[in-house]
Amino acid sequence: METVREHWEGIRILLRGDHVRIAEWCGHFETSRFVAWSLVAMIGSGLFGAAMGWWRAPEQAVYTGLKFPLVILLTMLGNGLLNGMLAPLLGVNIGFRQSFLAVMMSFTIAATILGALSPLLACLIWNTPPLEQGDQSRSSHAVILLALVTFVAFAGVVANVRLLLLLRFLSGSEQAARRVLFAWLGGNLLLGSQISWILRPFIGSPGLPVQFLRDEAMKGSFYEAVFHSVRTLLTE
Amino acid sequence: MIENTPPLLPGENGKDAASHDHSPSDRVVVNEVPIAGIGETIDAILREPGRVHAQIGQAGGLRLLCSLVMLIALGLAAYGFVVGTFTGGIQLWAAPLKIGGGMLISGLICLPSLYIFTCLAGGRASFRQVLGLVAGLIAIMTLLLIGFAPVAWVFSQSTESVATMGVLHLLFWGVAMVFAVRFFRSGFGSVVAAKETGLLRLWLTVFVVVVLQMSTALRPIIGQSETLLPGEKKFFAEHWLDSLQISQQGNRFDRSRGD
Repeated sequence: METVREHWEGIRILLRGDHVRIAEWCGHFETSRFVAWSLVAMIGSGLFGAAMGWWRAPEQAVYTGLKFPLVILLTMLGNGLLNGMLAPLLGVNIGFRQSFLAVMMSFTIAATILGALSPLLACLIWNTPPLEQGDQSRSSHAVILLALVTFVAFAGVVANVRLLLLLRFLSGSEQAARRVLFAWLGGNLLLGSQISWILRPFIGSPGLPVQFLRDEAMKGSFYEAVFHSVRTLLTE
Repeated sequence: MIENTPPLLPGENGKDAASHDHSPSDRVVVNEVPIAGIGETIDAILREPGRVHAQIGQAGGLRLLCSLVMLIALGLAAYGFVVGTFTGGIQLWAAPLKIGGGMLISGLICLPSLYIFTCLAGGRASFRQVLGLVAGLIAIMTLLLIGFAPVAWVFSQSTESVATMGVLHLLFWGVAMVFAVRFFRSGFGSVVAAKETGLLRLWLTVFVVVVLQMSTALRPIIGQSETLLPGEKKFFAEHWLDSLQISQQGNRFDRSRGD
């Protein structure tokens, strides 16, 4: 119980953005802290995912509750090596472990915020007509989509501001910290969007069955879909 | 009390890493402990490029050079394997061979011209030091390509479009090249002890063109072919345009709804 309280205090420190303490933690790997951050990230993002999927069906809530943390986990692992290389090359002289923990810290903050916002999202969805009645309640659906984007954007901005402060502290240079942050964000965007594409659906379309993965999950890429959508818009 | 004070930037004594100014008169003190093994070489390339530049020309420089070449060979083989997983079959061994071999051959083709250019620019570097610069340039590209390998693998398992994979690998290669050029330019000032001139920029352009052409000369690296090497000679830009057109004609993209 004492350990749980201690780790929860650690999460509070993350949220407060105490970069001196966080830098110290990133410099010294501690298994129990790593597990605590992972658990909080998985639970927080899982709850938010479940609320998101609940809009379509309870079954989809379970699926999205599992898949949303997976997106975070796989993106973090997939880019870990690259992030570790980019940091020293762009002027923040930290090691692979430090860069991994720094990115993990920002994901944990984002997931904690999303987890805290998930009851709000669930409440919003509970009070909204089901997704199947899309044509009858377009405005309600627009409100939910807007809320989803706002929540994710808010969590993302807060987490990245914390990460920027940490990088600035570690490098002693505002410019270097910004360069590394944007390089990491670019990498995460590139891989994260493709992983999200593979793991779709998250919300679920009313016209399509509730599934864990679409039948054609491993077919095509997010960027091809965007390219074809833009081309369709321009040519039709 | 924090134990880790903010670290100094690589070879910059706390100066911003972007503002590289490596004129011979502005050299910084570098770690002189010999770099041993591939692991330490990787660390030095990423964090202390000045240390790599300084040690190439010293007594243990040959060992460092061997580590760099080993790193390039193993790293590009690993990245090539990931590239090969897109097509599978013969490409699982052909792509690593072509990428690793192509990059090393490109370096060797461009090496004599760099040596001559450094002399023309007033440099006094030995051939080994120039060789070390080129090896460092390719090594840093290799490292970044390995960093991109998990991303490349995710895409290669989910898309069937050769054009998408081609563009993606070119993007990765371009990013890696940007960092490699930074490493190379900083070394040019400190190792070669020559001022950066138009000749250096010309050499870098030639190197980029040679590597790009090598990717066409050794095609297919992505996708299938009846032969291991092409029968027809083409310029890389022409080949890419042809590939994009073929890709658009044969595009059977499933426009299923994304959700």
